[in-house]
Amino acid sequence: MNIGSDLAGGFIGTLVLTTMLRGASELGWTRMDLAFMLGTAVTDHRRKAKAVGYVMHFVLGLGFAFVYALCFAAIGRSSWWLGAIFGVLHALFVSTVLVNVMLPVVHPRMATPDTAADEITLIEPPGFLMLNYGRNTFLITLTAHAAYGAIVGAVVKI
Amino acid sequence: MRTDGYAPIEDYALIGDGRTCALIARDGSIDWLCLPNLDSPSVFAEILDARRGGSLKLQPDIPFGASHRYLPNTNVLETTFTTDRGSVRVVDAMTIPCVSLAPMRELVRVVEGVSGSVPMRWRFAPRFNYGSTAARVEARHGVPVATYGAEAIAIASWNAGTPAGEEDAVVSRFEIAAGSRATLALATAYAEPLILPDPRAIASRLEGTIRFWEHWSGDRQYTGPWREHVMRSALVLKMLIFAPSGAPVAAPTTSLPEDIGGERNWDYRFCWIRDSNFHIDALLQLGCVEEARSLFWWFMQATALTEPEVHVLYKLDGGIGITERTIDLAGYRGSRPVRVGNGALEQIQHDIYGDLLETAWLYSEGHHALDHDTGVVLGRIADHVCDIWRRPDSGIWEVRNGPFHFTHSKAMCWVALDRAARLADRGELPKRHAARWKREAAAISDFIEQQCWSDRLHSYTRSAGSHDVDASLLMLPIIHYGDPRAERIQGTIDAVCRLLRDGDFVYRYHAEDGVPGGEGCFLNCSFWLVSALARAGRVDEASALMDRLIARANDVGLYAEEIDPTTGAFLGNFPQALVHLALIDAALSVQRSM
Repeated sequence: MNIGSDLAGGFIGTLVLTTMLRGASELGWTRMDLAFMLGTAVTDHRRKAKAVGYVMHFVLGLGFAFVYALCFAAIGRSSWWLGAIFGVLHALFVSTVLVNVMLPVVHPRMATPDTAADEITLIEPPGFLMLNYGRNTFLITLTAHAAYGAIVGAVVKI
Repeated sequence: MRTDGYAPIEDYALIGDGRTCALIARDGSIDWLCLPNLDSPSVFAEILDARRGGSLKLQPDIPFGASHRYLPNTNVLETTFTTDRGSVRVVDAMTIPCVSLAPMRELVRVVEGVSGSVPMRWRFAPRFNYGSTAARVEARHGVPVATYGAEAIAIASWNAGTPAGEEDAVVSRFEIAAGSRATLALATAYAEPLILPDPRAIASRLEGTIRFWEHWSGDRQYTGPWREHVMRSALVLKMLIFAPSGAPVAAPTTSLPEDIGGERNWDYRFCWIRDSNFHIDALLQLGCVEEARSLFWWFMQATALTEPEVHVLYKLDGGIGITERTIDLAGYRGSRPVRVGNGALEQIQHDIYGDLLETAWLYSEGHHALDHDTGVVLGRIADHVCDIWRRPDSGIWEVRNGPFHFTHSKAMCWVALDRAARLADRGELPKRHAARWKREAAAISDFIEQQCWSDRLHSYTRSAGSHDVDASLLMLPIIHYGDPRAERIQGTIDAVCRLLRDGDFVYRYHAEDGVPGGEGCFLNCSFWLVSALARAGRVDEASALMDRLIARANDVGLYAEEIDPTTGAFLGNFPQALVHLALIDAALSVQRSM
C-alpha cells in the first residue's frame, strides 16, 4: 500500500463525489444531502451542520479510500473499473444499511420507520435506497460512488 | 345503530401512535386500520365495505348499550358496555413502544368487568390490501397469525376464551365477571419477524402510553376559553402527525363521502401545504415548539425537489408520486367510488405559496430565525409568486372546472409577498428583490380591490368579476389582509352569512365546481366565521356561535370534514385536521379579542 496515493485518491474521489451530489441537489434531482445528514448528527444549526457534514464526509471519503486500497491489495490488482465496481457496492451499502440502519442509531435527529408519537425528529428517514429523498436519488448515489471508486482505483498504487 | 352494517361517522373515535391510526365505533368494532403506516393499505376497512372490508370486533354477546370517552388528557379510549347482566369497560390504545422489545405496531384492548357477569365475543377478520385479500391464518405457538406478503398480524389473547376459526375470521367467546380482566393484543410486523407480546409487557406499554399522553397534554399552555375542546383538538392533531417524518396528515381516512351515496369521496391521507400555517400557528400557540420546528423542517425538505414551484400535497414520506385510482370496495353506505391517491396533486393552486410564506413568518415570529439557505429558497419562491399571481388557478377548494381568478388565491399571493418583504426587512430573506415583492404585493391588492369587489353584494367576490361569494373570503381577516374591522371586511362577512350560512353552518359556495353531486357544510368554514367575527370586533356574536359549534362535536370531541345542516350527521373524512385547526384558531381569536 502507498499511503500517499491512498490519500490522493480518496481526496480527489471525495471531491468529485461531493460535487456530483451537490450538483444533483442544486438541479432539483434529489433532496439527499449527505453532508447535511451527517452534520445534523452534531448540530441542529442548519448552516453549521452542512459545514461540519462536509468535513465528516471528507474524512469518511479518505477512510473508505484506505478500505478500497486494502481490498485492492488483497486481490493483488487495482484499476479504475475494479474501483467502479467497489463504488457500486459501496453505494448499495450506503443507501440500504448505512443511512437506514446504522446512521439513525447514532443520529439524534433522524427518524426511523419506528419513530412514534413520543419522539420528535427533524430529519425524515431516507427509506429503502434513499427513495424518500426523490426517485432519482439512488441512481445519483450509484453514479457518484462509481465515479469515486473509479478515481480511487485509478490513483491508488498497491 | 348501524344502517346496512355501517355505523354513523359520528359514532367513531380515533386512537393512534403517531404512525398509524384506528377508528373504533361505539359498538366496539375497529372498522379502519392501515398498516404499518397511515397511508398504507388497510387491513380493517369495514367502514368502507361492511361485507368484506375487515374488522376487529369486541362487544357483549347479548343486547347492549354503549358509551365511550377518552381517558382524561390522553388518546386512550374507554368504552363502557351496559347490558341486563352487568357492565363492562374496554380500554383501547395503540401503544407507544418503550425500551423493551415491542411489536412494530401494537393495538391493545383491555376488558374489565365492572358489575355482574357479561358474556363477550370477539371476532378478528383482517382483509389485507383494502379488502382485496382474505387472510391466511395459522397458529404460531397457539397464537392466530394472519399473513399476507411481508405483513403479519397476530391476535394474542389472555382470559378471552379459546380462539377458533370461522370462515375467514378468528372468533372467541368468554364471560367477564366484575373485577376480572381479559386482554386482546394485535401485534403487527412488516418486512421483519413478528414479535409476540407478553401480558406484562403489554400492561407496561399501556401504562407508559397513558403516562406519555398525560405528560404531553400537561405541557400544553392553553388556558383560554373552550379549553377542553382545544386540548382534544391538540391531542387529535398530535395523532395525525406522522412521527417518522413530522408530516401532518389531513385526515386518517379515505373516501368517507361528502354526500351519502355520492361520488365526492377523496383520499386525505396526505400532507397539504395549505394546512401548514394553521398547523404552525396552533403548535406554537399551544407550546409545541419542537413539533413546530420539526414540521417546518419537513416542509422545507419536502418542497426542496420542486421549489420554487410547490406542490399542493405531498406523501407523508415527502414524495410526490401520488396517483389517484379507484379500488373495489362497496363504499360507505354505497358511496362509490372509493379512491386511493389524490388527483389534486396535478392542480395549480396559487394560495399554497401564501400558506408556505405565512408558515415561515409564523415560525420566525416564534423565535426561530430562518437560516440563510432557507431564506434563499423562500426568496426564490417569492420571485416565483411575482411571476404567476396574474394567472388563474384551481383555488383552495380544488375545483375541477377551473381555472379562475379566485380572490382567495390572489389574497394568499399577497400574503406570500407581504411576508417575504417583511422577512427581508428583518434580514431573514435576501433583500435583493424585496422592492419587487412590495411592488407586486401592492399590485395584487389593487387587483383585489378593483376586480374582486361587488358593490351589488357589498362584498368581496368569489373570483374576479363574479357576483357570488365563497367561504374562503372569511380568511381575509384571518390572514391580516387589510383592517379586519374595515367596512369591506364587515360587508363580506355579512354577505357570506346571508348567502352561504345555514343555521350555524356555512357552505363553501353554491357555484358549479366540476364534480357531480352535493355536499354538506364544511365545518372549518363555520370556525373560520367565528375567527372572522372575533377579529372584526363582533366578539359576542363569535363567542355565541363558538358555543353552539362546540356542542356539535361528537361525544368524544371530534369533527368530520362536513356536517349535514339538517340532521347534524357527519360527512366526509374523519376526523379532519383542518377543522380542528380552525377550532383552535377560532378559540384563540376570541380569546385575543376579549
